[in-house]
Amino acid sequence: MRENRGPWYLLTGLLFGAVIGLAYAWLVQPVRYTNTKPASLRPDFKDRYRALIALAYQTNDNLVRAKARLELLEDQDVYRALAEQAQRTLAGGGNVEEARALGALAVALGQAPPTVEPAPQNTGIPASTTAVISATQAITTPISISIEATPSLTITLDTSPNPTSTTIPLVTLLPTFTPLPTRTPTPTPGSPFVLRNQEQLCDPNLEEPLIQVQTIDSAGQPVPAVEVIVNWETGEDHFFTGLKPELGLGYADFSMTPLTNYTLRLANGGQPISGLSAPECEAQGGERYWGTWLLVFEQP
Amino acid sequence: MSRWVRFILAILLGIIAGLLYGWQFNPVKYVNTTPDSLGVDYKTDYVLMVSEVYTTEADLDLAARRLALLGGASPQESVNQAILFAESHGYTDADVSTMRKLLADLQLYRPAVGDAAP
Repeated sequence: MRENRGPWYLLTGLLFGAVIGLAYAWLVQPVRYTNTKPASLRPDFKDRYRALIALAYQTNDNLVRAKARLELLEDQDVYRALAEQAQRTLAGGGNVEEARALGALAVALGQAPPTVEPAPQNTGIPASTTAVISATQAITTPISISIEATPSLTITLDTSPNPTSTTIPLVTLLPTFTPLPTRTPTPTPGSPFVLRNQEQLCDPNLEEPLIQVQTIDSAGQPVPAVEVIVNWETGEDHFFTGLKPELGLGYADFSMTPLTNYTLRLANGGQPISGLSAPECEAQGGERYWGTWLLVFEQP
Repeated sequence: MSRWVRFILAILLGIIAGLLYGWQFNPVKYVNTTPDSLGVDYKTDYVLMVSEVYTTEADLDLAARRLALLGGASPQESVNQAILFAESHGYTDADVSTMRKLLADLQLYRPAVGDAAP
């Protein structure tokens, strides 16, 4: 008598085959990316790449090139990424020059005029933008697509053994630049800031006592990248305005240790503000906490 | 068609489906790559940045450590490859010259004992 087991064996075979296929595709011979882009780098390598872009910008003063390089990292907000990294570098006791370069590039990007910049002759990066997608393992028809953009556009579709190559004259392959809004006016060079306001603030939401600094120009607009120096008996710290863009381009703050006296001055001159120590505040319930100093400097 | 033939065909169909899914629809994704896997054009630009920074910092140790991230046999080799790529892809003379300066200095470079890549 013939046993009727139905078509289930087909499903078993299908699943068995799928498992073999997946194991081969994921474990034995996964897709290999040998020509990755900077955007896929691990976050710490991205930070190093970004810092190098900023340091290179300090050397060559080429904002177009720096912008093109930053675009490779595909940050959602380039300005914020630079500013936050500068903050992290300073907070982590990292290289001050690096932090300064990151801050300077952030400010330069923020102040870029809202005009379309001329197409770069050669920014270094896209002199040849080559993207190669390889899937040449084990598959019977290797596919290799290569796109080159200098001085003509060459598209090669290689389906070995008979590769084809088409060269198209490069008519219009100019990069499109999105104009950035002007965020702040450039500070008047050489004009020292003067202290306009010194105020004690009591904000129970702040977790630690701060010295908050705001720098504004004569029009009341925030001025970024102003170096602030704080001294106390056993140390000194430097920081810059504009590195916390969410709080304003002219804003900077410093965390005080209670019961320590600080003197603050701006690096480009002006009067030093001494006798700054964490003020004591009292909440409605009688609870005491440390307050904050707000110093507003204005450029006449 | 016998039951065994259909069974084998089902396995083959499953393998094709698995490969298609694994390679095409949901391939292994590399999101935390290292600089040594960058494309040669990006590596060249990285070398150019290191060279540009070197012109002001003049710190060969630091430049070599930065170049070490690119993998390669040696920093000199990385710069050499970058120069070759730059020359064949229309980089400006100034950029190539900046990289050549770094290469020339690296050829005289002897790393101090105990230096480690960052």
